This record gives sequence, C-alpha cells and structure tokens, in this order.
Amino acid sequence: MIRGVITRGVITSRRVSLALAAGFLALLYLGALGAGFLAPYGFDEQDREHTYAPPVRLRFRDGGGRLHLRPFLYIGVEKPGAPGVYEEDRARAFPVRFLVPAPPGRTGARVRLFGVEEPARIFLLGTDRFGRDQLSRLLYGARISLFSGLLAAGLAVALGLLAGAVAGFRGGWLDQVLMRTSELFLALPWLYLLLAVRAVLPLDLAPSGSFLLLVAVLGAVGWARPARLVRGAVLSARGRDYVLAAQGFGGSDGYVLRRHVLPQAVGVALTQLALLVPQYVLAEVAMSFLGLGVAEPVPSWGTMLAELERYDVLISYQWMLWPAVLLTGVVLSYHTLAEHIRERLQAGEV
Amino acid sequence: MPENRQPAEAVNPLEVRDLSVCYRGVHGEWAPVVEEIGFAIGPGEALGLLGESGCGKTTTALAIPGLLPANGRVVRGSVRLDGRELVGLSERQLEGVRGAGIGLVAQEPALALNPVIRVGEQVAEVVRVHRRLPWRRCREEAARALAEMGFADPGRIFASYPHQLSGGERQRVTIARALVCQPPVVIADEPTASLDTAVSVEILALLRDLVERHRLALLLISHDPRVLAAIAGRVVVMRAGRIVEQGPREEVFRQPRHPYTESLLRRLTPPTPTDGADPGSGEPLLLDVRGLRKTYTLRRPFGAKRAVDALAGVDLAVGASARLALVGRSGSGKSTLVRCLALLEEPDGGEIRLGGQDLVALPRRQRAAVRPGLQLVFQDPAAALNPRFSALDAVEEPMRLQKMEDRRQRALELMEQVGLPPALASRPVPRLSGGQKRRLLLARALATRPRVLFLDEPFTGLDLPLQTQIAALLLDLQASYRFALVLVSHDLDLAGSLAGEVAVLDGGRIVERAAPADLLRRPRHPASRELVDAARTLQGKMDGVVE
Amino acid sequence: MRYVASRLGYGLLLLLGVSILSFLLADLSPGDATAEMRLNPRISPGAVAALRVRYGLDRPLPVRYVRWLRSVASGELGWSVAFDAPVGPLLWRRAGNTLVLAVTAMILAWIVAVPAGVWAAARQGSWGDRLGLAASAVLLAVSELVLALLGLALAASTGLLPAGGMASLDYDALGGWGRARDLAAHLALPAVVLALSAFPVVHRHVRAAVAEALESPFVQAARGNGIPRRRLLWRHALPAAAKPLVSLLGLSIAGLLSGSVLVEVILSWPGLGPLLLQAILARDLHVVVGAILLSSVFLVLGNLVADLLLYWVDPRVRGT
Repeated sequence: MIRGVITRGVITSRRVSLALAAGFLALLYLGALGAGFLAPYGFDEQDREHTYAPPVRLRFRDGGGRLHLRPFLYIGVEKPGAPGVYEEDRARAFPVRFLVPAPPGRTGARVRLFGVEEPARIFLLGTDRFGRDQLSRLLYGARISLFSGLLAAGLAVALGLLAGAVAGFRGGWLDQVLMRTSELFLALPWLYLLLAVRAVLPLDLAPSGSFLLLVAVLGAVGWARPARLVRGAVLSARGRDYVLAAQGFGGSDGYVLRRHVLPQAVGVALTQLALLVPQYVLAEVAMSFLGLGVAEPVPSWGTMLAELERYDVLISYQWMLWPAVLLTGVVLSYHTLAEHIRERLQAGEV
Repeated sequence: MPENRQPAEAVNPLEVRDLSVCYRGVHGEWAPVVEEIGFAIGPGEALGLLGESGCGKTTTALAIPGLLPANGRVVRGSVRLDGRELVGLSERQLEGVRGAGIGLVAQEPALALNPVIRVGEQVAEVVRVHRRLPWRRCREEAARALAEMGFADPGRIFASYPHQLSGGERQRVTIARALVCQPPVVIADEPTASLDTAVSVEILALLRDLVERHRLALLLISHDPRVLAAIAGRVVVMRAGRIVEQGPREEVFRQPRHPYTESLLRRLTPPTPTDGADPGSGEPLLLDVRGLRKTYTLRRPFGAKRAVDALAGVDLAVGASARLALVGRSGSGKSTLVRCLALLEEPDGGEIRLGGQDLVALPRRQRAAVRPGLQLVFQDPAAALNPRFSALDAVEEPMRLQKMEDRRQRALELMEQVGLPPALASRPVPRLSGGQKRRLLLARALATRPRVLFLDEPFTGLDLPLQTQIAALLLDLQASYRFALVLVSHDLDLAGSLAGEVAVLDGGRIVERAAPADLLRRPRHPASRELVDAARTLQGKMDGVVE
Repeated sequence: MRYVASRLGYGLLLLLGVSILSFLLADLSPGDATAEMRLNPRISPGAVAALRVRYGLDRPLPVRYVRWLRSVASGELGWSVAFDAPVGPLLWRRAGNTLVLAVTAMILAWIVAVPAGVWAAARQGSWGDRLGLAASAVLLAVSELVLALLGLALAASTGLLPAGGMASLDYDALGGWGRARDLAAHLALPAVVLALSAFPVVHRHVRAAVAEALESPFVQAARGNGIPRRRLLWRHALPAAAKPLVSLLGLSIAGLLSGSVLVEVILSWPGLGPLLLQAILARDLHVVVGAILLSSVFLVLGNLVADLLLYWVDPRVRGT
C-alpha cells in the first residue's frame, strides 16, 4: 500500500512515459547482454598512457576543412607536467571502423561493433584511473548490476509468493510461523540486514561466486514483504463469496486456488517485482560500493562509483558520473513500470 | 446569514426555477442530468423529492448550495434563497450561505462527521465560521442546538467522538450541525437510508418537529415513498432529470397522474396465499432441520475468547415447493442459518435432513456431491461474483465444475430466463449494473438445478420498481424450475409480500412461524412484535395516505 | 493504556527475535576472528585455543547466547576481538551520532514535505502540483549514494561546508557556542542529503492521504455547512489523514537508518555505518550483532513513538 502511493502520478502522459521507460530498460538490458560485442574493449584492458582521459571527440571535418562521412579521431596525449590534461595529436587521423576483429586473448567477442586502429583508442565516455574504457566497463557492469537486481528480485518474489500462498491458504501454525518470521525480517533496516547476512559469509570470492552469493542473499532477505502482501491477497480472495460459491458448486481446493485466488496474488507479486528490482539494483550497487560485492577488476556500477569517494575525482573528471546517471534512469523507469502495472490491476479489478 | 433574510412574507425561503445541470463525461461531452426543474418551499413546509437512484435528485440537492463536483455545472435557471440569487455566486460567497442560509443533513451519518474531532466541536465550528463569535459562545450555541435534538444527555454527546455514538445519535448530531445557525432552509438527502426502521421513524419525527418549531423550509429527498409520507406536505416526483409530477402529498400518493409515479408506489403484490407451503397440508417434506447449532469464537488480541451462539438449536421444516421467509433483526442468526443449510458452513450440532438423509453426518466427499442441489444467492452480488469473469463465465462455472453438457447453450438460456439479453454475455462482471448482477447470481444459482434456493436479503440496494421485478421473476422461476424457496430478510413487509409463510428468528432460535397476514395481525413472540411494530410505523403512514 | 502496553510488549518480543536471529547468523558463519590467526604460523595453536577459551568460543551455542544476553544486560554487548574492548561503549557513541544525523534529517524532511504535500493535495493537477510530483519522482530514483557523492563534490568544490567528518581539528579548543556551530556545519551536508532522500516518500504520502481525506464524505459534509477551504484542509483533512502518516513516520526510520549507512561512509560521519563496515571486514562479529541489534532497537523505538503519537492523534485508537 505504502509503495503504491509512492509511485502514483509519476509522469502525466502515461503512454509516452511507459514507452520511454520500457525502451530505456530494454536498451540497457540488451546492451548488457551484448557487452562482448558492443564494448570496444574488455572491462579489464588498461591503458596506463591514458588515465582519466576525457571522452574522445569524434570529428567529421579535418584540419583542411574537408568533410568526412566516416567520423575520425586523434590520439590524445597527456600534457607533460599536467596530469589529466590531454591534447590531441593531429599528426594522424584514425577513422572509426565498424565490425572490427579484436586482438586475440582479450575479453569479449572476437568481432566488435566498432573500434579504431591501434595505437589510437576510442574512449567514447572517457577512462578511469587505470585508463580503462568507461563505456566498456559500463556495459559489462550492467551485467552484474542489472541482472543481480532482476534475479534477486525474482528470487525474493518467488519465495514470497510461495510463502504467502502457503500461509494464506493453509493457515494455522504454519501461517503463524511464517508471518512472525517475516515480521522479524521487516523489523530490521534492510541495509543493516543485508550487511549482517553478508558479514557471516566469506569475503574473498571469485566474481561469479560473489555474484551468485549476492543474488542469494538479496533474495533471502527480501521475501518478507511480498509474502505478506501475497498472503493478504490470498486471504481476501479466499474470504470472498465467489470462492465460497465455487466450493459450493464442487470446486476443489486446487481449482479455487488456480481460478480464483492466484490470479489476484500474481498481480500483487508482479507489482512487487517491479518495485523490488530497482531496490535490489541499488542494493547491489551499494554493496559493491562498500567493497562487499563483486571485486575488481570485474566492474559493477557500484565499484565504478567507488572511485568517486575521492571527491577530487568527481570534481575533475565528470564523466566518471555515468554509472550514477544510468542508475537513476533505471530506477525511474522501473518505478514508472510498477505504476503502470498497479494501475492496470486496479482498472481490471474495480 | 440572518441579516440577509428579507422580512417580506411573500418570498418563499427557497425557490428553484428552470434549473438545469450538466455533467461533463470522460470524453469532454456535456450530458444533462437535471433539466428544467422548478419548485418552491414555504416556511414551515416540508417538500418531498421522490425518485429512483440516478434520477438527479442528489444532483439537485448539491446544485442548490453550489456543491456540484468539478465536472458539474448549472447551465440554466435560478435558485433563490429568501429572494437572493445563488447561481453565479463566488465560492467565498457560497461558503457564507452554506450552513447559515441552507443547512445540509447528510445521507450517511456514519461518514458525515470527522472521526478525529469531538462532535460538539464540529457543531460549534459552524457557528464560529459564520458568526465569528468567541469559541466559548460558539460552544454554548452548539450545546443548545444539541439539547434540542432530544438527547438524554447532551453533555456526553458534545464531548464524544463519532465512533462512540450510534447511527441515530450521529444523525441527530448532523441535524444539529445543519440547524445550529438557524438557516431558513434545510436540505436532507436520504437522511434515513442507512438507519434501521425504528430509528428512521424517530429521526423523521424529529425533523417534522423541527420544521414546525423553527418554521423551516425542508427539502427531503428519498427513494422511499414511505419516508416522504411520514412528513412531506407536498411531493415532487423526478425521473431521468425531469419532474414528472408534483402536488400535495395526499393527491400524488392517492391518485398518481403519471404512470411512473404509480409504479413507484405500487407495493409488491402478495402471491395467492393458498399455494404457500403449509407444513400440515400433506405436501412432501423436503428439508427437515433439527436442533441445528453453530457457535463462533471471537478472539481478541490479548483478550479472552468469547463464544457466541449464532444458532442455538434451530428446528425447521421446508416443503418441496415452499416459499418461506426467515425474518429477524440483524444478528439474529438468519444469515448463519442459510449458510449452514446451503452447506457453506459447518454446523456444530444438529441434523439437516434432505429427503430423509442427514447431511451433517455425511462424510466430506458425499456432502460435496449434495451441495449443488442447495444453492445460496448471496446478499452482495459484487462480492459473490469474481470481477475477472465475464457474465457468461460466471453462469458457466457451476456447470463446468459439475461436468454438465451443452454448457454454453444452457448458460445463455438461463441468462435469458432471468432477463439478461445475450448481448451481455461477454461483458465483464464489474461493468454490469446492480440489478443485472443480482439477476446473474440467480442464473448461476439455477445452473445446477437446485432443489432448494436460499436467498440472502435479495432486495437490499434495489429500488422499489426493481424489487418488484425481481420478486416477480422469483415466482416465475419457481414455477418453471420447481424448487423450494427460502428467503432471508430483515424487512417483514417485503418478505411477507413474497412468502407464503414467515419464520421469525431471534437469538439463534425460531420463535414463531405463521402466515404473513396472521403474523402482521397477531404477533405472539416479543421479537415478532418488535418487527411488526417497526414495519407498521412506516407502513401505517403510507397506508393512511394510500388506502 | 492497554494499547500502549501491548505495543511495548510486541516491540520487546520483536527485539528478542532479532537478537536470536542475528546471533544465530553470526554463529553459523564459517570463520571467526581467530580463524585467520590459526593460519598464521607465528601464532601457536595453543595460543589460539587459549584465545578461544578466553572469548568463550569453545562453549556450546545456547551457552554463548545466554552469556551474550547477560553481557547485553550489563551494557557490554559482548567482546570486540578487533578492538579488544567491550562492544557496548564502542557502539554507544557511534549510535548517538547516527541518531543525531537521522533525527535531524527526519525533522528536515517532514518540515518541508508536510506543507508541500498538503499544498499539492489542495491543488491537484495544477502545474505546481505536477512539477512537485515530477521532482519527487526523480528524487525518489536518485540513490542516497549518488546524492551523497554529489553533495561531497559540491561541498569540496565550493568550500562552503566541511566535506566530511563530524568535527574540525580545533574542535576541542572551541567554546560551547563555537562547538555547536562547528557541529551544525558538519551536520548540514549529511543531514540535507539524507533528508532529500526521505523527502519524496513523505511528500507523496502526505499528498495522497490528504487528497483522499478531502474526497471523504465528512469533509464534503463540513463544506456543505460552510466551513472555508483553508480550514477544511488543515483542521479536517490533515488530522483525519494522520493515521497512515504516523505509521509512515515509524516506517521511514528504517529507510533513514539504511540510507544513513551509505551517507555516513561517504561523508565520514562517525556513526554506526562505518563501524559496521569496518567490523564486517575485520570479521568482528559481536560488533556486527551489536550494531544490528541497536538498529532494530531504534526501529522498534521509532515505531513505539509512532504508536504513541497515533494514540494521541486518533481517538478511534483510544476509544476501543
């Protein structure tokens, strides 16, 4: 209930906002899946010559004033004695090439969407402290941040759906035990709870291990609220006269559950899913930011943001803020989505 | 405000002329809701406005003090309060009129008072905003107004919160609030709709008293002619936004000129009394209930358990083509009884014999096989139909569960028989009207060809003409489907007109059983007498006028 | 009063449950602080075993729980292996700091959000209302983490506010007034960041609750008797809408505590958050359990305060 109010009336022109939100999310998820092909470099490819390099300028007009259809760029060279200040070396132009083969032994697909000839590098969103391409790391990082949120929320809602349906339909001591336990889980601030669970698990893990661990922990921590809501929906549907009537006509428990009760609960679960995913994306980012999620060199938006804890980085190199911008967009889009699902449900019901 | 009142005797306190109101729909089109209505109310006069729901009577009540919602607009006409034109006044000017010039008595006293403010304060507040007196004086005025409402202890009422008062007390408070600034005009929109009969009678008597004492011009709005008959001197009948008839009450009620008025006034015609089942008349016994009990345990958090006997040993015999009404106050156990009889709740003791077989003793599985033969038509159709279903789905469901043949065909036939055209078949349940949902419930209950049909308050929330239609439909259906009809109602009048026999429930027992006419004439048990009295008080006034 | 007593009893039960849960959690963990010592060749196995005995790690689980409960009762809350000191005193100061931050942020957020929400409810659909909604939707989507980072950069680049910590270096040399000003200057940034993250939730709830109350029959009935608009809004609608808002007050404490972890770490506010993080990295489990327990104490207390407020605000709660 509380959550529903939050997202009410996010943006006025509903259709447009829905299309924008869904489009944005689809683009990001596809980007994350296709990171191997879309990212010009691997997430761990360093270029110590170009640390904190600003986003490259793509040019269409050369020094002679001639216009080129194919964009090109110049190599940036760090000014001696002025770290972080780059000047273009106009001696040679490097045109942007598409579908370029990657050198062997690098992370990612064998053919990349775009790239430039070595020794030039194409840093569309700049580089970080080790000269790693921000765009590539953003795409690879989205894999961790976006999918851990999705999987964890899916896990939490699935657990919640199961626990809620069982508690609501079976009732009795099982209901009592489940509901009291859920109150315990809700009695803790979620980040504290998350940290507590994380605290007792091993700290040094391989990236895939810590990714799965994070998903499991988030899912295990978050089942309580969906469970209570689903139980409420099950109970309210169960108490309705139409359920009583269906039983009177000879409907079995299974029939009633399938035809009358679960359709209500699934709607609730779906709304919860749309609200939990962004919360869990944020949770993953927070955990990785605090050094409790995936570890370097594997990127997550959280570890990328961790560099900004040194405030001079943010002040001098604004392109490092990209993960924060995308993160905000993701959360906003999910909120919009949740709002639409909730409205649809209400319209269908009343 | 009082100083705005003009002394001229010739001017009526309230004059409505040629008033038309439009509402804007979702697509921006304007639809007329009230068209060219006009009436006047003199001092000390009560005018009754009669009409079905949706006829525009509430819109009229809102339009007079300028309270139309944002999508409503007065498009034509005038409303004069003591000669002063109200249409076109600014919101601020209207705020001065409301409460001081026109008092409003709300429809739903349970909802009309702010739950977190003491009711005395809510009355005093009206004095404060209109007269700008010091709070102490305002409270004195409020206490005076409350004292006039016939409370035994106005002091307690003053300091109470709404939830601490009964429905009747709350309605008296809203009347006090409407009258505290002594407005010349009072509008009461269905002031008794949510109250039970005895309290309604008291409230109406109070209103009549106040009209006389303060020379009020009262506009009383109701769908129930009996309510108007109690106090209105003149009656206006509205239909579809227009006035179809108006005149002195006696004239309109005794010789309605318009056929619509006649249909509103026509009471349910009792069926021929002989075909009601008489337990001694040799008709085969279908349902035989003996010593049925049901106890609910109420459990409060941190409180002791409390056992409530909803049924304390009910004995009941129902013939195969009976038409039996179960009546009783709310809480007398009648809903529990039909739910137990329809096997939707498990009784704690006793026997329910259907054709000689005791259903209570049957194992679960066998009982489930009997259930489709005992159908309950639920009281609230909105709760008894899954909002995700279409009308056809709802009727088909029982047949699907019973694995019957030709479901679609039969469902459409059933819908037709209860008066639902096939065009409605695919319409989602939430988009049906109240009357249509009720018909759909009937169709669904008949789908399994039950031997007994139980109806829980089948007429609540329906207008009088609709009640008549549904009652006639029930009789038709009984004739063609041959089931025993058991009907639950709190309204003796209504139940008696349909049933061949009435059983009175009180405290979980059947205390009296008689033919409706006998019961009305000579109730033996105190509980029956109470019901009969309540029915008579309103009916008596009606009868006095009509017959 | 029975209501209050029952709420209090419920809170205590909840705390007991939380303590068992968190203690179990800590105990199920694969390694304790001595695990790494065991791997260290310079520490003899005997010394490790002695340490384990000293910290009571060799005793069965229920015994350890009871021992720990006893030390909770004495205010010690177990022994921190990393600091080699009782956990209690470590926590108290940090918890006080967190409380100062969270309460300040909460007051800030509510003081702005309530009038803004009421104002928006009275003018639903107007441009101002839509703008407010859009702004709060965006604010809702920005994580505390990002807000804190932006705040940090802003403070550092403008130099208007101290960019972290709780006190200046010369704090001890300042007089009473100077100390208060120094504290306020350090508090301003984290409190505003935290308040900004709490604001949209409160704003939206106030708006929705008051809007619903405005539609209710009793407000319409009061309007029918000439009560002017402003009075309807503040005297009738807002108090009637108080019930969900007071519950929100209790609930929002959880959000503030969670948010404060990140804000404290980024803006180096010496609260529970950084301590908890440090303890996790050092596997100092008694500190972790203590911090969790304290955070739930805050939460239970907050909800208790909300319940008391509700008791005071809503006669329906008192009446039955």
